[in-house]
Amino acid sequence: MTFAISTQGLARRYGDAMALYPLTLEIEEGEVFGFLGHNGAGKTTTIRMLTTLLAPSAGTARVAGHDLATDPMAVRASIGYLPENVRLYDNFTTVENLLFFARLSRLNAPEAAVDKALTFLKIEDLANRRVGTFSKGMRQRVGLAQAILHRPKVLFLDEPTSGLDPMGVRMLRDIIGDLNAAGMTIFMNTHLLSEVAKSCSSIGVLSHGRLVFHDSMEAVTARYGDESSLEELYMSVAPDEAAA
Amino acid sequence: MRQSRTIAAQAMTGLMRERTVMLVAVMFVALVFVSAYLGWAATTTVNAIYADASAYLASVGQPVPPNPVTEGSPLAILRNLSVYVSLIGAFAAVLTGTRLIEADRTAGTLPLMAARPLERVTYARGKVEALGRATAAIILVAAIVSALTLVVMPQVRVGAADWVHFVGFFALSWAYVMVFGLVALGAAARFSAPAAGLLGATVVWLAVTFVLPAITGNVTPTAAINPVSALAAAPDTAAFQLLGDLFGPLSLSESYKFISADLLGYLPDGIQPRGLIPPLVDLLLALGISGGIALAGCLALDPNQGGPDA
Amino acid sequence: MPDFSPILTIAARDAREALRDRFLLIATLALAAAAITSLATGSLALHTDVATYMAAKDTLIALGKSASAIASPEFWPLKLLRGTVEQLEIMGAVIALVAGYRAAVSERGRQTLALILTRPLRRWQVLAAKLLGGFFLAATAAGAVTIAAAILLELTSGVGLMLSDLGRLTVGWAAAVLYLSGIYTVGFALSLWLRSASAGLVYAFALWMLMVLVAPQIGDTMDPDNQVAGGVFAALSVPKAEQDRIKAGFATYETIRNDIEISSPTKHFERFTFAVLGIKDTYTGKPLGPILTEKSGDALFLILFAFGLGAIVLLVPINPDRLTKEN
Repeated sequence: MTFAISTQGLARRYGDAMALYPLTLEIEEGEVFGFLGHNGAGKTTTIRMLTTLLAPSAGTARVAGHDLATDPMAVRASIGYLPENVRLYDNFTTVENLLFFARLSRLNAPEAAVDKALTFLKIEDLANRRVGTFSKGMRQRVGLAQAILHRPKVLFLDEPTSGLDPMGVRMLRDIIGDLNAAGMTIFMNTHLLSEVAKSCSSIGVLSHGRLVFHDSMEAVTARYGDESSLEELYMSVAPDEAAA
Repeated sequence: MRQSRTIAAQAMTGLMRERTVMLVAVMFVALVFVSAYLGWAATTTVNAIYADASAYLASVGQPVPPNPVTEGSPLAILRNLSVYVSLIGAFAAVLTGTRLIEADRTAGTLPLMAARPLERVTYARGKVEALGRATAAIILVAAIVSALTLVVMPQVRVGAADWVHFVGFFALSWAYVMVFGLVALGAAARFSAPAAGLLGATVVWLAVTFVLPAITGNVTPTAAINPVSALAAAPDTAAFQLLGDLFGPLSLSESYKFISADLLGYLPDGIQPRGLIPPLVDLLLALGISGGIALAGCLALDPNQGGPDA
Repeated sequence: MPDFSPILTIAARDAREALRDRFLLIATLALAAAAITSLATGSLALHTDVATYMAAKDTLIALGKSASAIASPEFWPLKLLRGTVEQLEIMGAVIALVAGYRAAVSERGRQTLALILTRPLRRWQVLAAKLLGGFFLAATAAGAVTIAAAILLELTSGVGLMLSDLGRLTVGWAAAVLYLSGIYTVGFALSLWLRSASAGLVYAFALWMLMVLVAPQIGDTMDPDNQVAGGVFAALSVPKAEQDRIKAGFATYETIRNDIEISSPTKHFERFTFAVLGIKDTYTGKPLGPILTEKSGDALFLILFAFGLGAIVLLVPINPDRLTKEN
């Protein structure tokens, strides 16, 4: 079995505070992994380490088959990343922003990649408008475009639905489905249980920096009944968060 | 396109779309025109005073000394420019250096770049290249305006050697403003707080322009912004000699003004540069060190700090 | 009668924040260091002059001549404050500008402004509190510099400061407070009114450069006497009476030059303090009363600069919707 992401005792400490206790996790290729947890649980810290933005305090990890510590450039060439609050360059148009990132990703035909991403995300009408005038939802789609321009093997999404209206959430879900169908592994941080139930093939729950649950969505459904009872699962593995 | 080129090209386009940067650049160019006018007005006035004074001296039978305007180099009418380069030119470079990094930070694109196969040193090279090109552009405009002034003014005759000095002066001015731009770039990269680069580099610039000349030669701050008064000899004592030796190499504005005065031909007789290091070597060293500061800042840049996603 | 209690409440909170903020301390120390440096080097240069005079006097006496052939240097301790005043003019202005920017930023974009503005108080009261904070900051920083300079003068000059000197220092301090408060208001207003606070800071810096450096610099360098090292008249060896006659022929040029200089509040502050402290030779040793009368124009300009700008800030409506929505 090939893993898109595998971590061994990956941990991060900030001074005296432990943001992530040693995390051992394996995510298969082609999965849509939902990483659940309360605010400050350590989800963003995990994503930042897996995207090479933050050095781990301990442990190792491989992403798309490349070691995080020894071959970060190969990791970077294989991933796409959408942060929670993506803004991009306000004074630049969508195309100008995307061309910039396509070139930094060393694509041979950056213009073609940008056109393809615009078409895929159905944002051709935004192509020549400056990003500064965009709503949160529009920015999110341009942000997603920059993350998939280079057809990464693994896509990291940090709270992608945050601040989106219901239409935006639905559209994003469809896009995630299409990307996954095209073979992309997706690692998604979220605290929206309903989204996990609808989009993910496996889930992990993080509580106070510790992984307290990890299984396939199939297994969850088998154990707790239908998808809507995901809340019960969350309450059982992280009861203090659910009560808070 | 090489990655550093991509970064530089994007940064240049971004700068040209920033109102604040363009405002300061326009202000600099406007002051270059003011400087040209001042050169003309002062020269004409001194000429007229000379005509009046020589008529008087001749009438009382005293010898008429040579006209101080025609005695020196024709380039001396550009002397105010050395002050404007060290004020607005350096400030424009500081602002440019700061914005080159802060634009990425406020746009939240630092994590997006850091998660791509892009070496940090390539990022630094792209930003330094953009800074170099932006500052060269404003210095070039200043050079063109100044060259036109020299060509148009009837009393001025500029020879081939003068033009060589002219080019040397603008190359030197570019190097001088780059020092501050690079410090700002490094500070903005190293410290994520808003305006940290602007404030940090401004403190360095203030110390270099107004405090160090007081220490090395008792030059008061307002004298430091007058091209002629700034070149005062230090009081002839062991204490000032020692202070000059110690702080002279740090007093970059004095090094710059000394070489400028030499190149533009208004260096008063008998003035010695401060410190033990020759002024040109001093400036080149400063350029190298500030380049190191910019590089170190970019290498230490934390993409997780300061942006909308921090 | 307007209610001043909310103003004091906000000003007191600002003061507490300022005390906890290292910026104020570091900035004041930097300003004091720059001012003291200028004072120390000025003092060092004066000691050199005195030593030169003593050596020349000894030589003359050794040669059997009278020492009255050379003028003895006069010593006025306050004259040594030229560099200190100039550092206040330039460095003090930058610090005041940045303090104004920080006062705007501390509320702008944070939801604290929304919290304050939804309380039962008027907008002008919030702004007045901020300006009052700036006034106290200016008074503290200028006070620290003045006290440090007075102590250093007392210790190093060898001539004790007289009571009248302390009076002059107090008047100089008051002028500095007005000048720095005005500049603080410029930094505060631009950082509050403009599209973004950082753009405001840049515009404020640009304005500072024009107001504090360029306008006096243009006036200074347009002075024909500054165009030639040592002075054009000295270079031509023209006697004083003839100089005045020649200068009279350039009255229009001189008027323009003066007008450019006095468009800058910095120049008014400088002219006023240089006269009060006797730094400018024309005023050295003269009683304070007539100087104040003669320089009342400069004093009035400073008062109008500080309070006029403050009034404008209170009158210009702010856009709370925009200022509270930023991130």
